[in-house]
Amino acid sequence: MNKKNGEFQKRLLATFKAEAEEHVKAITSGLIELEKDLPPETGMEVVERTFREVHSLKGAARSVSAANIESLCQATENVFSALKHKEIDLHPALFNTLHRVVDAFNEMIFSSDMGVGFKGERIAAIKEHLSKMEAGELTELQAPAGESGESFPAGTYLSAEVVRVPTEKMVALLLQAEEMVSAKLAVSQQMEDIAAILAMIEEWNRKWSKKYPEIQDLRRIEERKIRSENNRTNPAMSDAGLLEFLDMTRARIRSIEKKVVDLKRQTQQNRYSIGIMTENLLENSKKALMLPFAALFDSFPKIIRDLSHEHGKEVKLTVSGEEVEVDRRILEELRTPFIHLIRNGIDHGIEKPDRRVEVKKPKAGNIEIAVSLVEGNKAEITFSDDGAGVDIEKVREVSMSRGIAQASGNDQPADQEMLSLIFQSGFSTSPIITDISGRGLGLAIVKEKIEKLNGRISIESRQNQGTTFKIAMPLSLITFRGVLVKAVEQVFVIPTPNIERVIRINKEKIKTIENRETIPLEDITVPLARLGDILELPGIQEDRPFLHTVVVESAGKMIGIVVDEILSEQEVVVKNFNRHLSRIRNIAGATILGSGKVAPILNVQDLIKSAMKYHGAPLKVDGSKTKEEKRSILVVEDSITSRMLLKGILETSGYHVKTAVDGIDAITCLKTDKFDVVVSDVDMPRMNGFDLTAKIRSDKQISNLPVVLVTALESREDKERGIDVGANAYIVKSNFDQSNLLEVIKRLI
Amino acid sequence: MEMGRSQEMSEEKKRILRERAKRLAQEPKDARTYEREMEVLEFLLGRERYAVETEYVREVYPMKELTVLPCTPDFLLGIVNIRGEILPVIDVKKFFDLPGKGITNLNKVIVVRKDPMAIGILSDEVINTYAIPLSDLTPPPPILTGIKADFLKGITHQQLILIDIEKIISDKRLIIHEEIE
Repeated sequence: MNKKNGEFQKRLLATFKAEAEEHVKAITSGLIELEKDLPPETGMEVVERTFREVHSLKGAARSVSAANIESLCQATENVFSALKHKEIDLHPALFNTLHRVVDAFNEMIFSSDMGVGFKGERIAAIKEHLSKMEAGELTELQAPAGESGESFPAGTYLSAEVVRVPTEKMVALLLQAEEMVSAKLAVSQQMEDIAAILAMIEEWNRKWSKKYPEIQDLRRIEERKIRSENNRTNPAMSDAGLLEFLDMTRARIRSIEKKVVDLKRQTQQNRYSIGIMTENLLENSKKALMLPFAALFDSFPKIIRDLSHEHGKEVKLTVSGEEVEVDRRILEELRTPFIHLIRNGIDHGIEKPDRRVEVKKPKAGNIEIAVSLVEGNKAEITFSDDGAGVDIEKVREVSMSRGIAQASGNDQPADQEMLSLIFQSGFSTSPIITDISGRGLGLAIVKEKIEKLNGRISIESRQNQGTTFKIAMPLSLITFRGVLVKAVEQVFVIPTPNIERVIRINKEKIKTIENRETIPLEDITVPLARLGDILELPGIQEDRPFLHTVVVESAGKMIGIVVDEILSEQEVVVKNFNRHLSRIRNIAGATILGSGKVAPILNVQDLIKSAMKYHGAPLKVDGSKTKEEKRSILVVEDSITSRMLLKGILETSGYHVKTAVDGIDAITCLKTDKFDVVVSDVDMPRMNGFDLTAKIRSDKQISNLPVVLVTALESREDKERGIDVGANAYIVKSNFDQSNLLEVIKRLI
Repeated sequence: MEMGRSQEMSEEKKRILRERAKRLAQEPKDARTYEREMEVLEFLLGRERYAVETEYVREVYPMKELTVLPCTPDFLLGIVNIRGEILPVIDVKKFFDLPGKGITNLNKVIVVRKDPMAIGILSDEVINTYAIPLSDLTPPPPILTGIKADFLKGITHQQLILIDIEKIISDKRLIIHEEIE
């Protein structure tokens, strides 16, 4: 009983929160509108509308017994009533008080107890002030001590003109929609199967046509026979009966053929319609997760208003492109960086009104946010202020003195380069720079957040003209572009936004500086690291004269990651891990490749950290050191797990291992590479281990290659057969243990 | 939540409830006794027979592709894509720190779920599902304690080892959360 009641209360409160949030939002926008110079008639309309919102909020608060909210509503209503009846005028002081009221509402709504624990004095002070206002006494409300002016609730301001559905439910739907793609693939597979059946029937048709003359001959002979011996003794036993059966079979096959052709046509139709439906479903599921930027920007006017008042500045906000839609999960993540940008802009960018007049700018500063759609699935957001801009000289001075940037000879680092330094964490926390140009620690957070969303941010600034931040980012979390690379025979994805460039470097260009390999890249020096080393992969990356290197950048740091192969760049669908794998070093998530294989997506921020930490053997530039020959083993096994297990065992023992999935695959490998021993399973599709061994023995080039058969077959005959075909060792899986296999291999090599 | 409430209960209430529970737990003397059973799914790992309760089993999936994740513990074999969801697949033997004897033919993933968590358990072969009487279940013999008897529900007379899925799925070792300083 009690529990049920509690559940109900909880649900009720959640509903109230949602509703109250809407009302408070409407009150806020009403207030902001009233502050503009409206014609009296429109003004009264807005007063009336806002009045009603306050009233509705009061009703809602009463239903959940939020007494503090209710009583504050009452006091506010009185003021609006006075406004409505023109007993008092709209006055700046009035707005300030009403905005404080809104702050209090927000705080109470987002507090866990609905404002029950809210300081009584504060409510009383505001209420008293409101009643004075109502009586026409218009004074500024003194902010009580301890109350910060920036008490924006952390709740979401996401608009809800439609249905409120928890994000996770939508995501679950999207997941299912994504999986429908496999249904589409299955139908395609079915089409192929049907085509194969038709081909079989076709083959029968050809054979039948060939044999047809003979059958006809037989029929004629039979007919003659029947005519001559009019007395048929046993027709069923005669050839005539057989011929009849042949005819019937032929007719049956024809009708099967017809049915299969029909089936093919139907399946084709199904494939088409399932394809369309799946794509639409996927598209719409993605869309259902999208919200316009307006949902985020809606809360900005109030934030800007409060912040600029606090700093004694006047700031206008201009927004465009707010209708562009973005994945709501991204939108939620964008809130913090934007607040930081706004704070920076007002705090350090826009000048005080008198200063602005001095430099012949309009008294009120302007912050402009413009969103535009690029390439259909990306957004370019510019955030600019028309303030003082960043003082490059000061930045340069500070960075030089702190050794962050060095002036090499007479060459001064370019302004742009200097500017990008302000994104560095710690850089701007220095008191000097904070006092001069600000752009605080916040910018490091902004950059990190944006990069986490696979976006990029850059800054442009002109002294006395203002600062512009440009953000380019994907609109959906679901897909982004990534480069597929291979290292130690595993495929990984590196997010394209983190990639500076992909290069092939000559090994001779590598220079060791302080025990770390580096390569020169234009005018900077980039440290190198092998992906296999960073990820602690068991195998060893091959040494080549030219190294494929992906130069990645994150938070101002750059490294070159050496991989074995660069496969392609493509759109990847990001799959989040389930909560067991909440945070894996160096791995950000996974994606499913076109082949159905899962490939890990690398976390570039982590990779750089890991690479810096990695103190293992540096890349061997000196060719002579690498010459310690590794023995090479080919593992042939159709079961992926056994294959991996064997590979792991052998690699940890220092062998170089290549794998093949069956005999045919193995033969191909044997033709291209040299091996010291083959370890093969027996039972495999296409070509089994016995046949593979026989094939190896019959090939002059490799006839001496040792072969170890590892198998589940433990009968004596099997073992004998293994020896017959020429296997050097025969290990039964159930008796298997590592040392046994390793010992055998050691003996054979 | 329920726990929290029971703690607030007065001693008197607790006593009454305890007595009531005791009475209810008494087996009716004359009524026919029904054997209580548990439905399990039996699978092989090497030469041992293991079982999990079917109520946790969501599906058995043939292992097609396994992606190894670097920088993860040994018992985490990798991840698989099962209907759009990426699940971790674990090797129960490694998880139990059992010696890995015999190459196994791990090719079936048993997907077990205890909301909101799900994992895949790799097995050599899935045998069958059937009911075993609860009375058939005995605590694991001391010889098995090496494999952390905590994670076992018991063992049957036929040497079927019943794994405690809830314990495994909520074990801290399974939650991999590693930052780089």
